[in-house]
Amino acid sequence: MFKRLQIEDYLVALLWIGVAVYGSVINDYAASSTAYYILNVPMALGLAMLWGISGVLSFGQVAFFGLAGYTYGIVAGNLLSSPGLAAVAGIAGGLAAALVLAVAFGYFIFYGRVEAWIVPIVTLVMTLILATFMGQTAGYEWKVGEVLLGGYNGMTNIPPMNVFGSDLFGRALFYYVLIAVVIAWLAVVLCVRSRFGDVLIALREDPLRTELFGHDVRLMQLLCFSVAALLAGLSGVLYVQWGNYITPDSMGLLQATLPVVWVAVGARTSLLGVTVATVALNVLSFRLSSSGNQYAFVILGALLVVAMVVPTMGWAQRLSGLVGRRG
Amino acid sequence: MDGVLSVLYQFGTNAAFLLLSAIGLIVILGMMNIINLAHGELMMIGAYVASSLYHSGVPFAACVVVSFFAVALVGVALERVLIRRFYGRELQALVVTWGVSLILAQGALLAFGPFLASIPIPFGSGTVGTFSFSWYWIALIVLALLLVAGLWFLYYRTAFGLRARATMQEREMAQALGVKTGRVYMLTFALGSGLAGLAGALMAPTTTIAPYMGQQYVAPAFITVVTGGSANVIAGALGSTGFLSLAETPFTIWFGTFIGIVAMLLASLVLIRLLPKGLSEWIQRRWLS
Repeated sequence: MFKRLQIEDYLVALLWIGVAVYGSVINDYAASSTAYYILNVPMALGLAMLWGISGVLSFGQVAFFGLAGYTYGIVAGNLLSSPGLAAVAGIAGGLAAALVLAVAFGYFIFYGRVEAWIVPIVTLVMTLILATFMGQTAGYEWKVGEVLLGGYNGMTNIPPMNVFGSDLFGRALFYYVLIAVVIAWLAVVLCVRSRFGDVLIALREDPLRTELFGHDVRLMQLLCFSVAALLAGLSGVLYVQWGNYITPDSMGLLQATLPVVWVAVGARTSLLGVTVATVALNVLSFRLSSSGNQYAFVILGALLVVAMVVPTMGWAQRLSGLVGRRG
Repeated sequence: MDGVLSVLYQFGTNAAFLLLSAIGLIVILGMMNIINLAHGELMMIGAYVASSLYHSGVPFAACVVVSFFAVALVGVALERVLIRRFYGRELQALVVTWGVSLILAQGALLAFGPFLASIPIPFGSGTVGTFSFSWYWIALIVLALLLVAGLWFLYYRTAFGLRARATMQEREMAQALGVKTGRVYMLTFALGSGLAGLAGALMAPTTTIAPYMGQQYVAPAFITVVTGGSANVIAGALGSTGFLSLAETPFTIWFGTFIGIVAMLLASLVLIRLLPKGLSEWIQRRWLS
């Protein structure tokens, strides 16, 4: 196992240690902001695995993010009498919802063996439809148990994470998010630096040849898509536990762009690059939008274009190369 | 009788809407296997050009024609600066055009504000018995059909069409026989963009003219393209708009627009599960070869 790890994996591990230390010296408010900056890392790493490693591009990661967030809100909101159970059941429900949608949707696209450009288009359409659906759920007839779906205004008062009877806020929430993110990162490392990961790379390079070597291409792609969806779902759950609300905009066209920008700027195949780019761009968008700057999406769009045009492939790999290569 | 007319009218407007939204995309996809995610924003530019001209006194028909050429020029610029770097790398091209779409939409918001003056619907409305309809939508249905006929003429009766089809089928062989494939790509991209601008201008009177207006066409246009596939432009356009409006119309009538779009998505998912290369490839294989 350790033989397969690359230098950049150790660098990411160092990064997490650094973040953990940083979280212990800042105040409660800053810790809470930092939790927000890192909670999208699982979604980005999932897309990096799907697009960078295995060559399947999805524009629909935010659909799993939003679905998991809403499901957490519904499940946890109906179990208010026992907050600890509510949080656990909410997390399980949210992840399960993302997984079910991914498997159902992935079945049609991967077992149909569609051409590569169809996957991003269909996942984007799925996302927009989900967003439109949630947008029209205003009013009292859209009530699941005790919880209102809330239409365009979104779902509010979503219960926070609760451990042993106490709600997590500030620094405690930060450490909880950090642990979840590190677990997600370890899961991705486990997938990518294994035989499964080798097959994913082979799929990206030459699907036909991979199939002739006896691998079930359709199943592998579906598996990878499902793992990426679970990771996006985890980000969605963490997001609602952090902010206690979610709106259909979280699945809108603009939001759907963000994971693609993070991964493109992070050079796609590099887990270190994607992690750093995700955190950095989240800090940037948070700063820009909280100061009411309208150029945020122009800047993100320009970043996307530049990241694709300039062969950035591997700025993070080059960095790891400077530190030295294993093996 | 009125009921039948009403259903036919609904079907026709749905099909015309899909065809107009998607035709530019289909032309580009069929030729270079590139999906232009800035398509909706090109439609927006078409509507912006039409609206500004209309309100400075130019007749609407002329506005539409100017929009075609204006957006075709934007397309040439896009192709020369960006798209040509991505031939053969479809996923990267998708991502780049998405970046472009963000810049265009948010740029339009910053430059021109949240709304532009709308264009009144020309021609008024007519009635047959209890069934009432808009003459403008009838005109759009006719125009959509004329557009397909025009494309057929372009592809099957002109020298450009011959070169374009040769490039589509066998790029290297066409190149060896002296076809300037780079130019064919550029002109095709210009044509597809121009068609987007034309569609944007034509639909401008039916909607609000705003920076993010392109978004409303994204889902229907892309479902149409996915269903049609890239094998044959004419067969793809007619086949998938016909099929999808058949799926959409009853659901729209019974349950509203949103369920209509969901029905379209599900129909197209089932279709690509059965025919992964889209309807156009199937039509081509069954009837055209």
